[in-house]
Amino acid sequence: MLDRADVVVPILRSGVLAQDFCRRRARATVEAVFERSFYLRAGDEFICVGEPDIGNGPLTLIGHPGPLADLDLAGRPVALGGGHILIGNSIRLSLDRSEAWRSPPWPVCPSPSRLIETCSALARRAAIDAPEEGLARHVCGIGEASTHQRPLARIAGPRVATFERWLFAVLARGRPSEDAIQGLLGLGPGLTPSGDDFLVGALALLDCVGERDAHAALGRAITAALRGATSALSACFLRAAAAGHVGETLHRAVSSIIAGDVGAAIAAVDTIGHSSGWDMMAGITTTLRVAASTRSSSSAYV
Amino acid sequence: MSVILNEVRRATYLDSIVLMRISRQIAALPGIEEAGLIIGTPANKEILRDAGILGPESDGAEPSDLILALRASDALAGEAALAEARRLIDHPSALGAAAAVESSRTMRAAIKRLPAANLALISVPGDFAVAEAHKALELGLHAMIFSDNVPLDDEAALKRKARERGLFVMGPDCGTAIIGGVPLGFANVVPQGDIGIIGASGTGIQEVSCLIARAGRGITHALGTGGRDLKAEVGAITTLMAIDALDADDRTRHIVLISKPPAESVARLVLDRVAKSAKPFTICFLGASDVALPANARAAATLKATADIVVGGSAASWAQQPLPGLGRGGLVRGLFAGGTLCSEAQIIFRQAGLAVMSNVPVPGASAIGRAQDGQVLTDHVMIDLGDDEFTRGRPHPMFEPGVRDGPLAEALADPGVGIILLDIVLGYGGHPDPAGHLAAFLGRWEHRPLIVASVTGTDADPQPRNAQVETLAAAGVIVADSNAEATEAAIAALGPSLDRA
Repeated sequence: MLDRADVVVPILRSGVLAQDFCRRRARATVEAVFERSFYLRAGDEFICVGEPDIGNGPLTLIGHPGPLADLDLAGRPVALGGGHILIGNSIRLSLDRSEAWRSPPWPVCPSPSRLIETCSALARRAAIDAPEEGLARHVCGIGEASTHQRPLARIAGPRVATFERWLFAVLARGRPSEDAIQGLLGLGPGLTPSGDDFLVGALALLDCVGERDAHAALGRAITAALRGATSALSACFLRAAAAGHVGETLHRAVSSIIAGDVGAAIAAVDTIGHSSGWDMMAGITTTLRVAASTRSSSSAYV
Repeated sequence: MSVILNEVRRATYLDSIVLMRISRQIAALPGIEEAGLIIGTPANKEILRDAGILGPESDGAEPSDLILALRASDALAGEAALAEARRLIDHPSALGAAAAVESSRTMRAAIKRLPAANLALISVPGDFAVAEAHKALELGLHAMIFSDNVPLDDEAALKRKARERGLFVMGPDCGTAIIGGVPLGFANVVPQGDIGIIGASGTGIQEVSCLIARAGRGITHALGTGGRDLKAEVGAITTLMAIDALDADDRTRHIVLISKPPAESVARLVLDRVAKSAKPFTICFLGASDVALPANARAAATLKATADIVVGGSAASWAQQPLPGLGRGGLVRGLFAGGTLCSEAQIIFRQAGLAVMSNVPVPGASAIGRAQDGQVLTDHVMIDLGDDEFTRGRPHPMFEPGVRDGPLAEALADPGVGIILLDIVLGYGGHPDPAGHLAAFLGRWEHRPLIVASVTGTDADPQPRNAQVETLAAAGVIVADSNAEATEAAIAALGPSLDRA
């Protein structure tokens, strides 16, 4: 057994929500351990501790915890306070020299027609490059023939259409009559289900293009429906996105789309999980398509 | 009768890639008709219900639980799959070894399975190769493009993009490379050593690297550039990057450059770069004459001469046999699988003052028409059977030696042909027994001209060279140590009285 604080891991960067977690919480547990990261849980809140290559995020502490993956951390108690996170009796994460990280401002948007062209280019790429497991191939309109659809695609199709109608109504300043996220929450494979990733992408895009009312409306709809609909871990990322916080890789993907750089956008989403990044892309492009078609003359775009 | 089995793992967290891989692995087990491994949200239970694999065990599953659900052809297969799933969920690292050999449908999927990979070997129809190469570059991978039929503009654009990212594009039409001892495409088993090779030609690299190996030396890397890299439109981008790389490589002490003659402006670029290096270069611009080289470079007219210079002596040790007199005809017909070997033979004919024709003529040689045009061949002829004319819609003769059978039968039946000159190219990617095929084919012909061949390869190749040579010798084929020596032997057998061009 390790002696007290045998291992000290300096945290290099702290996402703003992770910092807040560390300030507010005194106790947590190591809930999940992966190859390059692990998650601390307190109540329904999670934060991630990971290697730099997982990318900065609002809920992420970045350091070099790699060797800890061999120490059977899962289930260990965690004490927080005084600028430190003590895991068990022996492993200390030091926040003393940690830099705060928050996502940078969004770039200015080009004209909607440019965005539509970019959407089309993304759909063409998604048809070839997106993993089979997620929503992207189906949502981008190039899924399998309906008689051969996978169950996920069969079920997701009408729900994405419902989301589009809701978003169209919100953006047109109408009164949406349907639940925006009915059935999308918790839908699909992955640690964060495809439907959740789709909604995170949608929130990021709405924030980026300055559709604050729609962003707020979608955020409210999501947070109201979260309990019991998806995993607590995935819910944390949804709440963060609803509050305007997304990870740097998703931020880069959205910014690249706005800049019309399809290749860079795809390179970014492709590094997020197995299909998560592509599912976010599906949410981004769906939202972008609706936003571009409904707000072409809006002052939200310059 | 099918059975449905479910198992719920409480508060189990696996990352998405592991979940996907376990799902696929279980679904592929014998007797498994459908399988899913997803978290227990209400929406996911709908998916499982829709797929017909939701069992009552999963009713109480929570969103943070993991549901393993499957439908099997019988209970035995189902239980076996559940047991395997439990093992993989508890020990996901067990997935690692299998993952490395799984095939991937896309480059992105492949790089996820093999995240440390840094090179993509692209061998798809030319129409699609450009898009795949762009993907490779965007993923931060060097690209070796085996495919041909890539437009020159696209090649130039790809190489510019690669250079900006510090990546290599080898090709298009790059058939051979050996990176740190790892053969790619058509390549031979040659020892590691201190000689670096940069080649615009696949069989050129193979012939030189094998001659070096048979002389007891070895190579660091052999980098293919594609046949058009030294064209003005491309500007030798890959060649220059390769020179930079080998110049910076401490283990490389001598650099070989093999290419067709470059555009003048490009030659200047390349030779200026060569001049800046402290290392000795041997440069073989096949078919070029009067190229002014910097002080640290020596010119070689042929592949054999290139190897001789590099190893500081004769790379091959063939004591030329006195060939028997020609029983018929006075013409040589060369039928080559290797394009550069065909070029080298033409150059040696031209150096000997002999007129020669080819479907891929070097400077000074005459062009012949397409095979189906019925042109009467009245000169020595060297045919590259790897040229598009012969390989469109058919395999390359290095894969499939039967491609040579038709032209060989013509030559055997032509009373004007006194000598047939052949090449056998061994190594990874090649036919498992090209000499055996040739010997069997020749065995059907009672009266035939002299047949002289070279065998490009090493005894360590998948088709050991020594065994291939024995097979050919037993079939009455005269085997030289190199393509150049085979050509010289053929010329010698023609005798002095033949008409010189």
